Amino acid sequence: MKKQQQPFGTDAEQNAAALKALLPAEDVLVYTFCTADGTPCTAVYTDGITDKELLGDLAARPLAAAAAPRTREEAKQRLLFPETKDANDCAAAAEEVLAGNPALFIGGIAGAIVLGTKKISVRAVAEPQTAITVKGPREGFIEDIKTNMGLVRRRIKSPALRLDGCRAGKYSGTDIRVVYLEGIADRKTVQQIKDRIAAVQIDGVPDSSYIARFLAEKPYSLFKQTGTTEKPDIFCAKLLEGRIGVLVDGSPIALTLPYLLVEDFQSAQDYFVSPYRATLSRLLRLLAVLLSLYLPAFYVAAQLFKLQLLPFALLLTVSGGIQGIPLSPSLELFFLLAVLEILIEASVRMPKYVALALSVIGALVLGDTAVKAGLVSSPAIIIVAMSGIAAYTVPDLTGTLSVMRLAFVVVAGSIGTYGILLLTAFLLYYLLTSDGYGAPLLAPFSPLVRRDLKDSLLKADLFALDRRPAVLRSKNKTRLKAAKREEQRHG
Amino acid sequence: MDKLKLRQICFLFAAVLPAAKLLIYPSTLSYYAKNDLLLSAALNFLLEGAVIALVMLLAQKTRGTFFSLLQNTFGQAAARAVYLLLALFLLASAVLPMLEQKNFVTQVLYENVPSVLSFIPFFAVCAFACTKGLKALGRIADIALPVFAVSVAVLLLLAAPHADLGALQPPGAAGARGIFTGTLFSLPWYTECLFPLLLLGHFDHERGAAWKVLLSFAAGAGAVLLFLALFYGIFAELTILTQYPLAHIAKYTTVFTTLGRADFLFIFAVALVCIFCLCIPLQLCVHCVREAFPSVPPAAPAVAVSAVLLILSVLLNYSFNAVQTLCMRYAFPAYLLFAYALPALSLLLHKTPPQAKARQNGRRRKKNSEAAALRQARRREKRRSKELL
Repeated sequence: MKKQQQPFGTDAEQNAAALKALLPAEDVLVYTFCTADGTPCTAVYTDGITDKELLGDLAARPLAAAAAPRTREEAKQRLLFPETKDANDCAAAAEEVLAGNPALFIGGIAGAIVLGTKKISVRAVAEPQTAITVKGPREGFIEDIKTNMGLVRRRIKSPALRLDGCRAGKYSGTDIRVVYLEGIADRKTVQQIKDRIAAVQIDGVPDSSYIARFLAEKPYSLFKQTGTTEKPDIFCAKLLEGRIGVLVDGSPIALTLPYLLVEDFQSAQDYFVSPYRATLSRLLRLLAVLLSLYLPAFYVAAQLFKLQLLPFALLLTVSGGIQGIPLSPSLELFFLLAVLEILIEASVRMPKYVALALSVIGALVLGDTAVKAGLVSSPAIIIVAMSGIAAYTVPDLTGTLSVMRLAFVVVAGSIGTYGILLLTAFLLYYLLTSDGYGAPLLAPFSPLVRRDLKDSLLKADLFALDRRPAVLRSKNKTRLKAAKREEQRHG
Repeated sequence: MDKLKLRQICFLFAAVLPAAKLLIYPSTLSYYAKNDLLLSAALNFLLEGAVIALVMLLAQKTRGTFFSLLQNTFGQAAARAVYLLLALFLLASAVLPMLEQKNFVTQVLYENVPSVLSFIPFFAVCAFACTKGLKALGRIADIALPVFAVSVAVLLLLAAPHADLGALQPPGAAGARGIFTGTLFSLPWYTECLFPLLLLGHFDHERGAAWKVLLSFAAGAGAVLLFLALFYGIFAELTILTQYPLAHIAKYTTVFTTLGRADFLFIFAVALVCIFCLCIPLQLCVHCVREAFPSVPPAAPAVAVSAVLLILSVLLNYSFNAVQTLCMRYAFPAYLLFAYALPALSLLLHKTPPQAKARQNGRRRKKNSEAAALRQARRREKRRSKELL
């Protein structure tokens, strides 16, 4: 038997020494004290992540005040902790100690009692920067998985909510929770996700995006394969639709599966405003994405191949603007898009006050001077600026859009409009054959799922959304009972 | 098994396949049928519709694929041979539309890029689509329907005010010969009645499936006929000279003075659907090869088919007219045989495998012999009771 798996004896000091030998790090400390009758007790804990005050007040003090307990149960009764666990060997105890829960050894009692005194400084629950809403809940996930689990549990007070735990990361031992609603989520998909997480062989998991790569069906795809959210309300809404969530300790970004592309066009706010407004917003987002993707490419193609595309008056303005520009239209656009990406990259990394100055320099000084110097044309700057801004209407697609935009400019510059069409056809063939966990990426449009169109680019009234999305293959299909609906309608 | 939905087949007929008839076909047809081009096209549609109806009738009677029907009737080797011939036919039938589209790209979408160079990436897209199987074919139809419907509707709406439908009068001016020549020489654009036969067994049969498919086909046909009518109404005698009417039909709209040629956006959309449409026979060609030889990985025939087509596009770069003449005037028997006769005759194929049939016959024979024995025993008993009396 390995030394780590040898069961603890009844000698508290020896047990502590064995555990300390397994955890030689300097931040793992041993606290020794005695009970009233002189029986030695030891607690092994990790400094910095254990609440020492609690350990002293709720463990050492009650034990020191009376004679040593004879059994583990008696000891647990005397300890004032709501959360205790047993650890019978070094390996189990070491895992808990490293997680912040001290292992307590009492002389005469075999094994360790693990006390739940983990204390990790976490930031407050706040509105996430990536999903700001005018209406609706403002809470966001944080890095602590326990807090995140609490945020979910607070919204779904049902025994059907399951938070199945697993670990990943050889050294990090990151806690991961597969969250789903029993009876609503597809069981096969749940198992598939669990199996994939169990198969992860990696040193550490710094963020949920690492797990997302392992959960992706096409890990090398340019397109997202898992849904992401920082908001517990969105997360819970997706669970209620029949999706499966994944929470990763240390990451404020929760994953949801299966993922559909249309999810990125939906915002939390759409569900809190009128369906007409929500539909308009979604269509605007689609238009913005199309503009962001195609505007620079069509500008290049129009200049090189299809001048008739532009109205005559506009053509005169554009031709006046581009006169004397040394770069070809595609090179000019490519250059400007590269500058845009650099500016975005720099402004994200810079401290806020520098970012403001940077945007002034970048947008006004650099842009204006470049036009005046005759390096680039004003129409090109307008096109790139519009494209850049439009991409941010769907924040989750920004990365993909910026790469695709460059690809479209390249094909438009080399083979013109037909190149744009061919790249579009290629993209469509790729996207519509990309299924993840049985759900087609382009559903409900291709394959067409008429029922699910009600909450796609269109947003139907709440009462019309009485069924869960068919594409998620939930056994429990109804989410709004017709009778209830009628009652609601007629007061 | 690679499956599609009946809905997707309907969408293929309504929105993807008609797109190929909007390029050079209208001007070619008007050359033969003149103002009777609608009659000529309608005849083609009727003929094609009849064949599709027969195939859908066959689909009602069997759940097997066309390959399994051939196998039941002639054995596996013959079925493979027929499928390879079909694959060859599909590949050959894609040559004319490919060259047509290449010329469309050169003449309408560009002015200054060599057509071979600009068209080469198409073969990469085609190879990619072919590797994705029938799933891609079905799903692309879901996407193509709204694109095609909106684009064609807008183009037709823009064109309608400028069309003088009186130009189509009087009917029959081209004479029966003109109309029938138009119909016969249009066969290269009417091969899609073969497609449902190859999709047999790859879609779930629903109630009223035949009607749904035929109605979708009629919708697609209606769009093409309307396009032809407006085209002739606008250009009249000039239709023969107006190649690729898709690019010209809406150009006289007055709003373009302030908007620019905004109709090009819709023309691009139809051109996108044309790319999907051109991929279909090649996807089915790869499907045929894979059905006949299931162990072949999809990438091999997909790349081979695209490579062959690429080579042909280079070799026949300046021979569009020769290829068109060959396909229209001399190769029409092949089109008649593969696209029309074969689907129609497939109704005669055995729906059940020979072993199952033998088993069925055996059971029937056994039943009959048991009944005969019973009858005989009864008769004997009757005779005996008479003798006793």
